[in-house]
Amino acid sequence: MKIRLEAHGAATLVIPEGRLDFGTATGFQAQLEQVLAGTRTAPAAVIIDCAGLEYVSSAGLRVFLLAARSSQRAGLRFAICSLQPAVREVFELSGFNRVIAVHTDRAAALAPLQQGRA
Amino acid sequence: MTEQRICVARDAAQVPVLMRFLKEFWSAAGLPPADSVKFELALEEVFMNLVMHGSSEAGTQVEVSVILCDGGLTLMVEDDGPAFDPLLLPAPDVAASLEERKVGGLGVFLVRQMMDAVSYQRVAARNQLRMTKRLIAGGAAPGVASGV
Repeated sequence: MKIRLEAHGAATLVIPEGRLDFGTATGFQAQLEQVLAGTRTAPAAVIIDCAGLEYVSSAGLRVFLLAARSSQRAGLRFAICSLQPAVREVFELSGFNRVIAVHTDRAAALAPLQQGRA
Repeated sequence: MTEQRICVARDAAQVPVLMRFLKEFWSAAGLPPADSVKFELALEEVFMNLVMHGSSEAGTQVEVSVILCDGGLTLMVEDDGPAFDPLLLPAPDVAASLEERKVGGLGVFLVRQMMDAVSYQRVAARNQLRMTKRLIAGGAAPGVASGV
């Protein structure tokens, strides 16, 4: 799995590509922890753009859950966007779409920040 | 009916081997790509459950079979470890809050949601988990795919 980071104002976009499974979850978790710890910047929001994410198993869901929880504790906004149908189904079946903000696309995920409500 | 079988060590490093096995079966049988991801997930979750919750005995083998029959696909995972029925794991509370959510049991829960039928049997000192799902119409007819 490839992971890219992009800064969008106060938000850090995390863009994973490929499969988030048992084998790649640990690396993704480490990268997210680094972003959340603000080693690069201190983001007001962390948004995971899942457009390139083809597959998520429970090992991947665990990483999203931990990151969402850390964000909440740190007072950061955490959201995900642009889910492919197969990934969306996993989020919906697991009920994770009720505890993590899911947006249809990147613009919708960034909109609350641009309105100054971050 | 088409059937393929693979036997691997009960080791997380074997997951890519199993995924390749499933993908090769998929393309050889001309099955609809949209259904593939559900079986990939089922195989990863069930196999990793065995890796993480199975006994510490070394050398345990896991046998995975895929059976295509009458427009439905059955994934069967068998191992010779101590009796372990993953279907007895408590279902996760999918309505819990962010702070209270747990991931334990989520894998098996997802498998049960995605498959049409999941059953466990202890057969001849082996655990046998069968997962079956009808495939979306549009793939090759089972008669055409039947190579055995």
